[in-house]
Amino acid sequence: MAYGNFERLALCLVVTGERLRREQLTMALRWAMAVSSPNSSLHADAALPKFSSTKTLYPSQGTFNFPPNSTSRLLFSGPKSNNFSSTARTLPFRCFASALTPQLKDTLDKVVKSNKVVLFMKGTKDFPQCGFSNTVVQILNSFNVPFVTVNILENELLRQGLKEYSSWPTFPQLYIEGEFFGGCDITVEAFKSGELQELLEKAMCS
Amino acid sequence: MGVTKEQVESSLTSKLNPSHLEVIDTSGGCGASFAIEIVSEQFEGKRLLERHRIVNGALEEEMKEIHALSIKKALTPEQWKQQQESEKSKSDA
Repeated sequence: MAYGNFERLALCLVVTGERLRREQLTMALRWAMAVSSPNSSLHADAALPKFSSTKTLYPSQGTFNFPPNSTSRLLFSGPKSNNFSSTARTLPFRCFASALTPQLKDTLDKVVKSNKVVLFMKGTKDFPQCGFSNTVVQILNSFNVPFVTVNILENELLRQGLKEYSSWPTFPQLYIEGEFFGGCDITVEAFKSGELQELLEKAMCS
Repeated sequence: MGVTKEQVESSLTSKLNPSHLEVIDTSGGCGASFAIEIVSEQFEGKRLLERHRIVNGALEEEMKEIHALSIKKALTPEQWKQQQESEKSKSDA
């Protein structure tokens, strides 16, 4: 219940956000979170609709926290926003011509370029929610290289946008040094052939 | 819902003209998961990533319904021949 209230409040802030300065928005969101869900694991910064790769990265965890469907709130702003409810997050995004907004593309560019190895996956590296994602995590773990993961199940718009960004229809998606490397099959194949090790060693040294 | 093995086969056959094609329905009946072995001349001179992109492209319509597509093999006829021969010599030995 508290979360529902928070969502409504957050949307309110997002809709009126254009007039607010960013700092004010952050403050307001922090306040909103403190009020509505003191024990929430969400981060105020992460709840901002504007993605910022530097702010949402927590190197200690090696995991990006994309705000849950926050961009969708932006899309639903306008006259329809009065009807916003928790059901909005389940709306199919296929009705939009493109999920890959310029804003999302910029963010993804930053994410894949500011980290040597990025895995877009279902679940997290500690709790993969798909066998294929798990396979790639295990392979990367075996090399003992640092990598960040992005849980695409947390953000439907991100999930759809990434498919376009990578021109790849499924997950997981592995990026090495800003380049799309492949999905699960390609990673397994490259792991067996030694090509992946070579590439990762090169990436780590550069 | 879902896609049938035959649909996947016919799309791949018409678009990639494969000399060898094996489609295995790994979904357990719902038609959302397939494993593929494909040999086509169109893969000549292409990296594995590009080969997968070609297959994904050929199945663009089907992919909307497919949850997982595992491309076990995407080989050129030449590579396929070599692989067959090396497997044969192994079993002979």
